[in-house]
Amino acid sequence: MPTSASASPSATASASASSIAIAAGRNHSDLHARLISSDGEVQLKALRELKNRIIGNRTKKLLYIKLGLVPAVADIVASKAETIADHESSLLVQSAAVLGSFACGFDVGVRAVLDAGVFPYLFRLLSHPDEKVVDAGARSLRMIYQSKLAPKYDFLQDKNMDFLVSLLNCENENVTGLGASIIIHSCKSVAEQRALCRAGVLKKLISLLDGSLSQRDASLESLAAIIKNNVEAVSKFVESESTRALSSVIELTKDRYPRTRLLACICLIVIRNTSPCYLQDIGIKTKLVYLLLELHDDPGQVGDEASFAFSSLIAEKEDLQKLAFEANAIDKLYNHLQKGVLHPKRFQGILLALADLCSKLENCRSKFLSLKALNLVTNALNHDSSDVRAAACICLRSVSRSIKNLCAGHFMNEMIVFPLVQLLDDPCTSVQVAALSALGNIVIDFTTHRSAFVQCGGMKQLVQLTKSMDSTVRSNALRALRNLVFLAEKVCKEGIFLELTASSLASLVSDPEPFVQEQALGLIRNLVDGCMNSVEFIFSEDRIILDAVGRQLRNASKAEIGKQGMYVLNNVARGNELHKEAVMHQLIPQTDNGMQSFMIKFLQSNDGQLRTAAVWTVVNLTFPSSPGAFDRLVRLSNAGVVSQIESMANDPCLDVKLRVRTALGQFRTFGIGST
Amino acid sequence: MPVRVAESSAPSQVSGANSGQTTPPACTLLSVGQAFSGTQNVSSSQKDEAWKVNVCIQGCDLEHGYLCGTMEALNVPMADTPVVTFWEGEIVDTKNYTFFTGKWEAKPEDDIRHWIKFPSFAPLLSQVEVDGGKSLDLSNCPYIFMRWKEQYFVNVGTDCGLTIAGFYYVCFSCSDGSINGFYYDPNSSPFQKLELKSTNEGRFSFSSYELQ
Amino acid sequence: MSLFWIVIRQLAEIEEMAVSKKVITREEWEKKLNDVKIRKEDMNKLVMNFLVTEGYVDAAEKFRLESGTEPDIDLATITDRMAVKKAVQCGNVEDAIEKVNDLNPEILDTNPQLFFHLQQQRLIELIRNGKVEEALEFAQEELAPRGEENQSFLEELERTVALLAFEDVSNCPVGELLDVSQRLKTASEVNAAILTSQSHEKDPKLPSLLKMLIWAQNQLDEKAAYPRINDLSTAMLEDPPI
Repeated sequence: MPTSASASPSATASASASSIAIAAGRNHSDLHARLISSDGEVQLKALRELKNRIIGNRTKKLLYIKLGLVPAVADIVASKAETIADHESSLLVQSAAVLGSFACGFDVGVRAVLDAGVFPYLFRLLSHPDEKVVDAGARSLRMIYQSKLAPKYDFLQDKNMDFLVSLLNCENENVTGLGASIIIHSCKSVAEQRALCRAGVLKKLISLLDGSLSQRDASLESLAAIIKNNVEAVSKFVESESTRALSSVIELTKDRYPRTRLLACICLIVIRNTSPCYLQDIGIKTKLVYLLLELHDDPGQVGDEASFAFSSLIAEKEDLQKLAFEANAIDKLYNHLQKGVLHPKRFQGILLALADLCSKLENCRSKFLSLKALNLVTNALNHDSSDVRAAACICLRSVSRSIKNLCAGHFMNEMIVFPLVQLLDDPCTSVQVAALSALGNIVIDFTTHRSAFVQCGGMKQLVQLTKSMDSTVRSNALRALRNLVFLAEKVCKEGIFLELTASSLASLVSDPEPFVQEQALGLIRNLVDGCMNSVEFIFSEDRIILDAVGRQLRNASKAEIGKQGMYVLNNVARGNELHKEAVMHQLIPQTDNGMQSFMIKFLQSNDGQLRTAAVWTVVNLTFPSSPGAFDRLVRLSNAGVVSQIESMANDPCLDVKLRVRTALGQFRTFGIGST
Repeated sequence: MPVRVAESSAPSQVSGANSGQTTPPACTLLSVGQAFSGTQNVSSSQKDEAWKVNVCIQGCDLEHGYLCGTMEALNVPMADTPVVTFWEGEIVDTKNYTFFTGKWEAKPEDDIRHWIKFPSFAPLLSQVEVDGGKSLDLSNCPYIFMRWKEQYFVNVGTDCGLTIAGFYYVCFSCSDGSINGFYYDPNSSPFQKLELKSTNEGRFSFSSYELQ
Repeated sequence: MSLFWIVIRQLAEIEEMAVSKKVITREEWEKKLNDVKIRKEDMNKLVMNFLVTEGYVDAAEKFRLESGTEPDIDLATITDRMAVKKAVQCGNVEDAIEKVNDLNPEILDTNPQLFFHLQQQRLIELIRNGKVEEALEFAQEELAPRGEENQSFLEELERTVALLAFEDVSNCPVGELLDVSQRLKTASEVNAAILTSQSHEKDPKLPSLLKMLIWAQNQLDEKAAYPRINDLSTAMLEDPPI
């Protein structure tokens, strides 16, 4: 063990354990001395020894990085990069191999190699006359480019692009592989994608699809990088060589190597997601679904990544979710989930895939629930990995979109709600947000279990989160509270209102972020609905909330805010005379400074739903049996509201038209308006 | 299902030209949280034998022609407590669903036999007889036709003495929010009539929730 | 592959024709066989594929000269691969690892399972040679960290170390680890990994074709009596029993 046979054949196999330990200790410091020796033979032996110790052994890599061996090896490359003597070649080959191994799948190693400043020297090896040196240099660089830490390659400089093309045109597999790795690593922007297309890289990569295993894989992956979200590049690829390129990729989905199959699938998914006009054939869609489900069987990285590819295939696409459902995707993914301890990456991937499957279709959710998959997902809420916890929340969020199961109270139980409430405190914001969104759905509980949620401290937590610095958290917390008070009993609403306070609700209405304002208004809208004295909430603390709503409506830029705010006023306007007058006060300010009422603006809006909300409010304000109706009608008429509504008798939106008809009917009982 | 429906301010297409795209009006009186109350007659002949019914809309997904909610029956002869069921509705939008049920033991004749009891259905009859109404444009129709199928008992067991084997043919009026319906189950008494009115007449208020 | 389809198609034909067991005479059979066109080059490729994959470098070289079939891989790499395989088979695992690393340093860096199995084999060899202390040291230093990275490695490691607990390994429940078969298993795993790294299929095609032939004959036996190949080494057609 202490020294490799070739480095020191004299090392005795019968050495006792203690001498091994001593030898190992000596060798560590000794290695450094030998690496910087002036004798090339000593250096070469030291390099080989180091190489054979670190390959496959992460512990040793870390140890030698700490002992500072990387700079010593880097110095050898730097000093010999330009030499062409034979024995120097071996030194270069071995040191490049050592550096490549340090960088292989190990970011600490990549960092150490980059810090040693050897990166440009490795590039210089690519023009070395000895093929073996070129090969070793290319391999090392390839390892570095597989890490995110590698410096970004600037394709937009002509000389860089020329160099890249020369790499791709090279005979050597590791050199073309390096070219592909550079593209995969650095091609991110549309400008870069265009530049690569212009330089003819697509064509070159397509020809590599017929190459060796590693060339095929590298080519598939870089093709995906170049065409992703770039309609122009996709059509250029699909239509190149009369769709032969596309057929090759489709053919590669049948390849014997799982990784190649996966990469071919990903390439096709990128094409489809970028330009939905391609690959519409149901056969291909079904095949992709089956293939990706099958690839989950791979025990390694391919199986882990298959879930993510599957998600990108079906996300937001109902037709594909349906196909996946018919292919028993839920059972298959569930079976994988059941297989004991999963790698966190795989666990996360499967949970997210299930989340996408259950995002739209009720039959998927039913299937999921019938398999008792819920237990596995709720267990995952306590997983060590924050990625898994967040994925479990996202999965619950999808499944809890089922009104049918919400009505049955299937989610509002300790097993699910307690851990979710705990995750509201999670140190990781993405987990917090995901837990919040799942809870937001679950609290729409039409049965009487809401008190359980309040009792376990969930409501107080939500109120706390409305004060978060993160606007997404604020908005999600408000949405959850809004859903919690939807058709809730008075007691529940009172509890929330007391906790939240009128003043902070008013300031949330005026939040800097429009999507937070919208949720705050939605919450108030639900709060003042229901029994008549619910309306009083909005009048506490000197009408601070009502004033905030009015202010927001006068400045409303988004139709959504107008809608929610208008329904707040509408729900208040259904109350008693005092309530109705308060709404009038917001609609038509006493001091007439010639400003048009926002009511007119909303009635003239392009958004039919906003117009509907506005007309409903007028209907409530002018309901004939209320004592002040006539007086209010006169004021509305003076403000131009009546004539505006009269002009809407043939509104293109049926709902608006019918509400206008009701309003006009009420106007007529007071003799106002045309007949 | 945050009920955000695409704006339909453009005049609706002539029937047939674009019938696949028509959607029923997003009627605020049929939105989530809206409640209705009225009666259901146990038999068509004896008007006096009726129980009180409350309905609440819980979910709505117009894109899929889907509606759901709960139905509460009070003073049910056999039961000691009010019986609550959860139902799911198919909206006849000619895109997701037509007037022909095609399941639940309902043949086209049964469908027409029931639909024709709604006066507002009369103008549609001839076309429905041809294709179930597939080519009709209902986007400007002030009535919404639906089928409500109860899925489970919310507060009692299946031994409560009631059956939910059948389903309701329903006609909703967008102008005043009134609902008429007929229960159909080959094994129950025919044409049990459901009559409901919006509970917030004169005091219209609207809640909403948002799923994520 | 194309053979397979022909067999399938014929099976389907036969199924259509015969409700009871059909008898096919030698003339009919040979006529049908003659209708199947197989290119000589394809047959040669099949042979070359076998020689290359199994590592018969001298035979491959001779066959190349005689038949003019170009191997799809540099014959020099076969020699290297065979040297690695042989080293493992002889229990010279350390030597094998160095050779693999010279051939392609990526193989063991990206294949933790193979790397672990080689290290495990090293441990087995130490135990076989009675170097108990050294074996323990090695297990702790080299293998234990791998076990921490992977649960299944840990279990295999425990199994291997269990060898030390038995005086008489022939009666030991994990004794099979000391068998030659364990070396062969490890050797073939390395062989396959090297082939894969050279973009070459890790199994020769010929044996799977022969397996397919046996399967097809078994299927056909239920439906027909026909001239059968019973001895694969001679491929003689034997007349059906009448």
